[in-house]
Amino acid sequence: MAPAVPRDLMTATLAFGQTLRAAGLPLTVSELMDAVRALEVIDLGDREEVYLGLRACLVARIEEVPAFDRCFEAFWKYHAEHGQSLDGLVSPAPTPPVAEPEHAGGGTPGAEKQASVALESWEEESEDTGEPLEVPGQSDREVLIDQDFSTFPAEDLDEVARLTILIAKRLARRVSRRRRPTRRGGIVDLRRSMRANLMKAEIIELRRRERRRRKVKLVLLCDVSGSMDLYSRFLLQFLYALQNAFGRVETFTFATRLTRVTEQLKGPSYKLALRRLTDVRDFSGGTRIGESLQEFNRTWGHLVNRHTIVIVLSDGWDTGEPEVLSAEMLSLRRKAGRVMWLNPLLGNPSYEPLTRGMAAALPLVDHFAAAHNLASLRDLASHLRLR
Amino acid sequence: MRAEIRKIQEMMESADYVTDAAIATSVHLAMSLKKPLLIEGHAGVGKTEVAKVMSRMLTTNLIRLQCYEGLDAAQALYEWNYPKQLLHIKLEESTDHSLAQKEAAIFSEPFLIRRPLLQAISQDGQPPVLLIDEIDRSDEEFEAFLLEILSDFQVTIPEIGTIKAIHAPYVILTSNRNRELSDALRRRCLYQWVDFPGFDKEIRIVLRKVPGVNERLARQISRFMETLRTLRLAKVPGVAETLDWAQALTSLHADHLDEELIAETLGCVLKDADDVRRFKRELASSGVSRFAPAEG
Repeated sequence: MAPAVPRDLMTATLAFGQTLRAAGLPLTVSELMDAVRALEVIDLGDREEVYLGLRACLVARIEEVPAFDRCFEAFWKYHAEHGQSLDGLVSPAPTPPVAEPEHAGGGTPGAEKQASVALESWEEESEDTGEPLEVPGQSDREVLIDQDFSTFPAEDLDEVARLTILIAKRLARRVSRRRRPTRRGGIVDLRRSMRANLMKAEIIELRRRERRRRKVKLVLLCDVSGSMDLYSRFLLQFLYALQNAFGRVETFTFATRLTRVTEQLKGPSYKLALRRLTDVRDFSGGTRIGESLQEFNRTWGHLVNRHTIVIVLSDGWDTGEPEVLSAEMLSLRRKAGRVMWLNPLLGNPSYEPLTRGMAAALPLVDHFAAAHNLASLRDLASHLRLR
Repeated sequence: MRAEIRKIQEMMESADYVTDAAIATSVHLAMSLKKPLLIEGHAGVGKTEVAKVMSRMLTTNLIRLQCYEGLDAAQALYEWNYPKQLLHIKLEESTDHSLAQKEAAIFSEPFLIRRPLLQAISQDGQPPVLLIDEIDRSDEEFEAFLLEILSDFQVTIPEIGTIKAIHAPYVILTSNRNRELSDALRRRCLYQWVDFPGFDKEIRIVLRKVPGVNERLARQISRFMETLRTLRLAKVPGVAETLDWAQALTSLHADHLDEELIAETLGCVLKDADDVRRFKRELASSGVSRFAPAEG
């Protein structure tokens, strides 16, 4: 039986966990408990082994390793200097950011925080559960539907946000369907057939269910550079709603560099998601669409296959080289099931895609459409299919 | 280093699996903390092998669930044996058993087909090693379903009742990252990234796995692969490619690399037309010595 981990070491491990959280690892309580248990079964005098053991427990994706390595360095230094007495580590550790509620592993110290967060989440939530949603598009909503995002007065913003969410949910429903019983066609559902024919001693009446459709995945690449400012807050809301209504979405933002925001967008509250987004958002002025796509293809290219619809949301103002953009679009197009480009400027009747970036990308896009108002987002539905 | 970890490393080596302290440590923790271990890495770096070696070490069964798109509970958990049920109904035709009796008969244990997850849960005696291979190929719905199974190791079959594991199995999950797994699943598992082997490790692998290869060639091959992997390739060659190539070169009785030999056998290593073009461009601009230095 291994000796129990000294109390100080346990405190030190929890403090280490807080340092890691501050460095961006969304650790759960149960992971930290595992780390403490792991220290009971490894050689505490062996730096390499402590490192490997804690890393196995606390890191959950390769991208987290550099941050872990930096924090571990500090952790070990204290460990070595203070021997078993690790008080030195506990006090200077940065104050932990509040744990995100979605990772709460039961009995977390943030329990009361969680309750207040739940209250913050959309008030619309309860209305949204009813199935046949009024899809925006009629009567008094008409004005909002066709109005350009950039011209909304402040008092309409909440209503627009609500409609955006409804549209995203409808889109998601369209794309994801479960297998249901059906009368003809489809594949034989033996389990149901067996039940239906129990007393007949023979399968007389076959029960069927829908053939499984090919699952479609979405990859969203949203331009958040300065020139998109008037639109990006609506589009981000749209991305947020889509991310949470539909499971198979990967979302990225870009201006001069690419950021994966899938995890930041997940969760019950848009406000929280937005706060998480501001932490990672690239606020710089220019847009390097080509380089951002290159980065995407290199690092995240494995997410795209022929069942993937890639949607780029951008006005096409690219300060990079158009050759890079067209090469990367071509490589995306080869792998993806469909590539769509949504451009808010297309809502203006006099707009022509003359920017160098847009001109380079356009021939390689399967569907080019506007994204300047609610109607354009709504009309997306009919185009969300594979080539 | 803990004796247990050294032992794991030794057993892996003796099973012809060339390993390092990182993998041995995470396997040790997976066994002693009884946590699922998620192993990620490129194709062909030996992720699946970890589970095989683990079952050998524990002298227990290896139960493998190969994931694919569309994998559902009927394939992963259990299904009723319909032909057998039909036959039974037919045989019972002349008896006057009631509907309830017939139903109870055909929806009982003998008519149940246990798929890997149920097998892993319902095994008597020593807990098995459950390998959930290429989890990234399954759908998100399956991932959520799996998360449920992994959290309490029990399954409810409406017709029979709840089956709960006496001992939770050892679970190894592998992923090639064709899809990003959810944070919920990731953070429930121990994690190990298996990278392409470094120069020294690759030499050891080649020497271990390719009979008849000479050491000079093994060194040259490993150096070549190391350099090749620094190019931006669409399909980065894995250990499997290294071994194929070493095998091919050995059967050609080669004892060192030269430009002609590389050109003839390049198909073992690069399997994408763009990659071949890129490599040839690099070769033309920086010369063969960059990839195969004379003193390997």
